[in-house]
Amino acid sequence: MSNDSLQYQVTLLDLVDRVLGKGVVLSGDITLSVADVDLVYVGLRVLLSSVATLEELDSGAASA
Amino acid sequence: MIHVYGVVDGLDEVPPIAGVEDAPLERRRVAGLDLVLSRSATPPSAEVSRETVLRHAQVVEALTRRSAAILPAQLGRGFRDEDQLASAVAEQAAQLERGLERVRGCVEFGLRATTELPPAPEADTGSAYMQARLDQVRLQDDLVERLHEPLARLARETTLQRRGGGVTAAYLVERDEVPAFEAEAARLEHADGVTVVCTGPWPPYSFAAGTP
Repeated sequence: MSNDSLQYQVTLLDLVDRVLGKGVVLSGDITLSVADVDLVYVGLRVLLSSVATLEELDSGAASA
Repeated sequence: MIHVYGVVDGLDEVPPIAGVEDAPLERRRVAGLDLVLSRSATPPSAEVSRETVLRHAQVVEALTRRSAAILPAQLGRGFRDEDQLASAVAEQAAQLERGLERVRGCVEFGLRATTELPPAPEADTGSAYMQARLDQVRLQDDLVERLHEPLARLARETTLQRRGGGVTAAYLVERDEVPAFEAEAARLEHADGVTVVCTGPWPPYSFAAGTP
C-alpha cells in the first residue's frame, strides 16, 4: 500500500475515534449507544484495508 | 433535539456552514459559556451515519480555526430543549472553564506506530506467555523512546496507549510549536521497521474530557 493511502486511512480512523470516543461529554440524553458506535467501526472495516490500521480497530472507541 | 458541537472561547463569528442534517448553526450563551449548536425536529436515527460524523467533525474543525479555545463535544449526546441544556452546562461550568484554559491556543496531533512483527503466537505455557509479553513490552518501550518522547518534548500534554506491537499517542501542541512538531514528526516517519503515521492538526478532542 502506498504511504498516501495509509495516511488517508489512518486519518479517517483517527477522525472517527475522536468524534465518537473523545471530546467533552455534556450530560444530555444518550443518542448513540455502544452498539451504534460498533456499527460505525464495522462500516469502517469495509473502507480500511490496511493491516496496520485494522488490528487497531478492535480497541477503537471502546478504549476512549 | 439540540445537537452541541462544542464550548468555545474567543469565537470571531459562527462559520457559514450548515450543521448536522443541514440545520443552521446557532451560538448560545449558557451559564457564562459560549456554545455552538444546531437543532433537528426529528429524534436522531438509531444508526449514526458517516454523514453525521463528518458534518460534526467539519463544524468542530471550522470552529477551531475561528476560536482561541474550544472543547469539542463528543458525538452521541443530545438535549431535548434549552432548559435541559442550560442545567447540564451550569452543572459542569467550572470544569468546562478549566478545560478551555487547558487547551487554549493549542491543536492536537495523533501518532500511530505499529511494528511489522507478527503478533505473538498462542503461548501454551506460562513461561512462553511471559516471554511473549516481555517481548511485546520491550518493543513498545522502544517505540516510546524513539517516537513518543521526542514528540512529547514539543507538546504541552500527551496521552499514550500501548497495544500489542504498537503504540497510539495524542499530543496537545501550542500553535507556535506546530512547525517544529510537524518537522519532527516528518523526520520520525522514516523509522526503520516501524509503520509510523502522524495525523493532525486536529481540534483538541483528546484533551477536552475531564481536567487534571
